[in-house]
Amino acid sequence: MTFTPAAFLRAGLIALAAVVLEVSGIGAMRVFGASPDLVPLAVAGVAIYAGSVSGAAMGFGTGLLLDLAVGGTMGVSSLVLTAMGYAVGRYREVRDPAHGLMPIPVGAAATLGWGATFAAVSFMLDVGASVSPVIFGEMLMASAIGAVLAIPVFWLCRKILRPSLVIDPFELRRRRGRPREAGPLGLRGLEI
Amino acid sequence: MFDSKVIRRRRATLAVFVGLSIVMLTAYFGESNNGGFFHTLQRGAQEAFAPIETGTDRALKPFRDFFGWFGDTIDAKGENEDLRSEVQDLRQRLAENATGARDAAQLRGLVELRRGEGFPGATRPVAARVIARSPTVWYSSVKIDKGSSDGVRRNQPVIASGGLAGKITEVTDGTSEVTLITDASSAVSGQVMPNGASGIVKPEVGEPDDLLLDFVDKGRRVTEGTTVVTSGFTSSRVESLFPRGIPIGRVTKSDLDEIELYQRVHMKPFADLRRVDFVQVLTAKGTPATSAQVPAP
Repeated sequence: MTFTPAAFLRAGLIALAAVVLEVSGIGAMRVFGASPDLVPLAVAGVAIYAGSVSGAAMGFGTGLLLDLAVGGTMGVSSLVLTAMGYAVGRYREVRDPAHGLMPIPVGAAATLGWGATFAAVSFMLDVGASVSPVIFGEMLMASAIGAVLAIPVFWLCRKILRPSLVIDPFELRRRRGRPREAGPLGLRGLEI
Repeated sequence: MFDSKVIRRRRATLAVFVGLSIVMLTAYFGESNNGGFFHTLQRGAQEAFAPIETGTDRALKPFRDFFGWFGDTIDAKGENEDLRSEVQDLRQRLAENATGARDAAQLRGLVELRRGEGFPGATRPVAARVIARSPTVWYSSVKIDKGSSDGVRRNQPVIASGGLAGKITEVTDGTSEVTLITDASSAVSGQVMPNGASGIVKPEVGEPDDLLLDFVDKGRRVTEGTTVVTSGFTSSRVESLFPRGIPIGRVTKSDLDEIELYQRVHMKPFADLRRVDFVQVLTAKGTPATSAQVPAP
């Protein structure tokens, strides 16, 4: 991603929308016993198109906004989302996924990773209460919901970020898909 | 292909953000709840976010209700059966309680006993709308649209759907943060009615429909279906944050382990804390200077 004021504004808009929607209503919806979680999807959506550095920055910013908005322990969400954004961004840089259904596994993994890592950090900060095993089932269900929601969320992230993207994985896919009809001029007739 | 400068810059960025997060986390824990940079920042941000959250909450309510309708429809049949049997049980108890209340009033008059401050008599409820909810189960809190200008103060109890919901933990001019009884840090002194067994109501993280009444004396048998209310204890030095008699939940089962010293009672809270849209803050009960915090076991 090119780091211009417009790019920061676009990423900030995505982060703000995800946090406000999550805390003001989406998080209270119950679907098969779990709640949809837009925050990790928004971070993963930006990271997958913009790379690891932008993903880590987006994760940190979104986590900060989330902690400020809900009054949670400052730094916990930032820490987890920074790591998650970086990991998703690195996956894009190393594996270069360009499949049309790529948002599904990435969205599921991001939601599950966010839930599991947040749980691990909360344990490290000494939760003063017993933990129900139901929580693990809810994490898996939230991951499944994340997989479904990832398609529209990633599509929206791409639409918003597109003017600032250096490489768009979906554009790469289109270029790869086109069959080559002829070799370079200098190799014609050489049977290689 | 592997530009070492790019790799270094990438790793440095990650290190900076992780470091900043850890610094924030450490500083936040080091601050007192009343002051400190990060707590002040949080209060300011919550005040700024409030109008956006209120608007978004109202706009999204039809969607929340739509999704809630599916779950409600599935649960309705079983719930109907349960409620019918509960109504029968309550009719019987009402008759007993009416007789008991009349006797108690007469006896109180005979011994000139002052009526203690309890719920709902000594409280002035302020209705508030929930405008934001914590998205993780690890921190169960909600934000409401009433603040210090409406008489809301820290540590005041909050009820929802006739049951205890939590207490006020942060107050700004126009908004407040309610830490729910399902939050990992919550602990409320409760009493089983009518047998009077006391214990500490604690949550089970990840299961908001199941609270634990811990440290209940094994000698006092707690039966399924009995009600747990706030005990509202008062001593010469400290006083409970919650007034006596706020319903918390209904006992669903009791674990009687031979080895354990205490019995552990499971209960379902009266307030549906997953889908709470409106709450009442009990404002008349002042914040005592030396309120007792129940220590975590």
